[in-house]
Amino acid sequence: MQGSTRKMGIMTDVHRRFLQLLMTHGVLEEQDVKRLQKHCYQVHDRNATVEKLEDFINNINSVLESLYIEIKKGVTEDDGRPIYALVNLATTSVSKMATDFAENELDLFRKALELIIDSETGFASSTNILNLVDQLKGKKMRKKEAEQVLQKFAQNKWLIEKEGEFTLHGRAILEMEQYIRETYPDSVKICNICHSLLIQGQSCETCGIKMHLPCVAKYFQSNSEPRCPHCNDYWPHEIPEVFDPEKEREAGISKSNRKSLRSRQH
Amino acid sequence: MSEQSKDLSDPSFAGEAPNSEVHDSPGVPVGVAPPDSPAAIPAEPQSPPLGPTATPQAAPPPQAPSDEGDPKALQQAAEQGRAHQSLSAAQLGPAPPAPAQLVQKAHELMWYVLVKDQKKMIIWFPDMVKDVIGSYKKWCRSILRRTSLILARVFGLHLRLTSLHTMEFALVKALDPEELDRVALSNRMPMTGLLLMILSLIYVKGRGARESAVWNVLRILGLRPWKKHSTFGDVRKLITEEFVQQNYLKYQRVPYVEPPEYEFFWGSRASREITKMQIMEFLARVFKKDPQAWPSRYREALEEARALREANPSAHCPRSSVSED
Repeated sequence: MQGSTRKMGIMTDVHRRFLQLLMTHGVLEEQDVKRLQKHCYQVHDRNATVEKLEDFINNINSVLESLYIEIKKGVTEDDGRPIYALVNLATTSVSKMATDFAENELDLFRKALELIIDSETGFASSTNILNLVDQLKGKKMRKKEAEQVLQKFAQNKWLIEKEGEFTLHGRAILEMEQYIRETYPDSVKICNICHSLLIQGQSCETCGIKMHLPCVAKYFQSNSEPRCPHCNDYWPHEIPEVFDPEKEREAGISKSNRKSLRSRQH
Repeated sequence: MSEQSKDLSDPSFAGEAPNSEVHDSPGVPVGVAPPDSPAAIPAEPQSPPLGPTATPQAAPPPQAPSDEGDPKALQQAAEQGRAHQSLSAAQLGPAPPAPAQLVQKAHELMWYVLVKDQKKMIIWFPDMVKDVIGSYKKWCRSILRRTSLILARVFGLHLRLTSLHTMEFALVKALDPEELDRVALSNRMPMTGLLLMILSLIYVKGRGARESAVWNVLRILGLRPWKKHSTFGDVRKLITEEFVQQNYLKYQRVPYVEPPEYEFFWGSRASREITKMQIMEFLARVFKKDPQAWPSRYREALEEARALREANPSAHCPRSSVSED
């Protein structure tokens, strides 16, 4: 640590437990991450003040840096919730998935990914994906099987299903953004505000630029006359609300009150 | 990341960027094992023996549930590892790769092991060699050593050889298992809740639980063998195949019973990872009773807890918490 230009953090059992649990869950929403952090302090260092989450994570990341992994923060595209995942920076492949799925399943995912990226809405219909089943590498897969594989992807938080259509889960975007941008440089869409990969979002009808829903929410917050940042034309879409964790918590409390009435489940 | 996996068929999909990364190796020099390293180092199981002795003399007891037998046997394996290295240096043909490449392999292996563990898949040594180590097989000992060190230092996890016979590794938490029941009950890991439900039923009965009994209990959660569940999917497949594959449950035919019936038992992994006290606390919360409402079980749980405490006076990873440069 002497004379180094890189600032290295200090790992204690608080940080280790945090990393273990984050790894176990794969991807977590910010409020769960905060809860997790508090839990780790409770177990190992009860009297210490809980460090601010951002600093806590930067501290850990400075240690992880030399290992080419990082706790990455992202935002869900549909409602702007902050999420966190431990990602591997060293590879550009679908590295986390590769250990889990067979060759033909990975290929199915790749086909779905391509359809999603090429689509206008960021969603690919189940039918269109299943029609590509004959083109898959590896063992032959029937459509029925492929349907179940798609469900497996959704359960493992790689895809989100909405009314028979599939899009990328926030976790997949976090983990694969680099890979996607390198593999599909021509068809990939970028958000005009944050310049990250865009799968779902709104577009300007005039000039075609795109923005994430949460980016739209923040950019046009309390603006009664939203205008496109690029061509200044009137922005025709409904402006979503900025994600507010406080409101979430209140909603969550009333939901859990209802849940406790059926306390036997789980 | 995979050396010989299916991904290589599509160059854009393969993750390996072998030479494009030049990075400083972190503080730990290659090839030096700290004397108190808890990492398990197997003697070369399949590749051509580098030294005169290819088989270890002291194998750790296969599937030892407690940590007692391991440290001594691991120490012996570690010493053997070092003995091998000094012998093999004289006999090695091709020049060893640059330290930076070995370091990179260690990082890949670390990630591989973490992901396998996250998916609750078996960490099998031949898979490690095939998928990650590949052509660096000869140096897999030092790679493994470095990986174990990183995992202990950064994650607080021990990469332990659980069975030399089947060459299986497991990531054992060096920190006490505290969060399991909390996590299970917070709806974040519903699988664990389901599993704990079944395990606690088996535990309370004191013997195997017939499949019919298990389904009676799962009915409380609204789960039926023929219905697909929004979270669990095919529940029957989950408990009779996936949990069994992950060694959390054993699913066996009841002998001498016609028509055939099956029963569930605790799997070896459940015995390793879940304590009886956790089950008692789980039951207490679910049924809103005191754990002592099951007196004989509670007594067993107390005894097990005491035995565990005595067996592991310091089951923590080395307290060198300052990361080196």
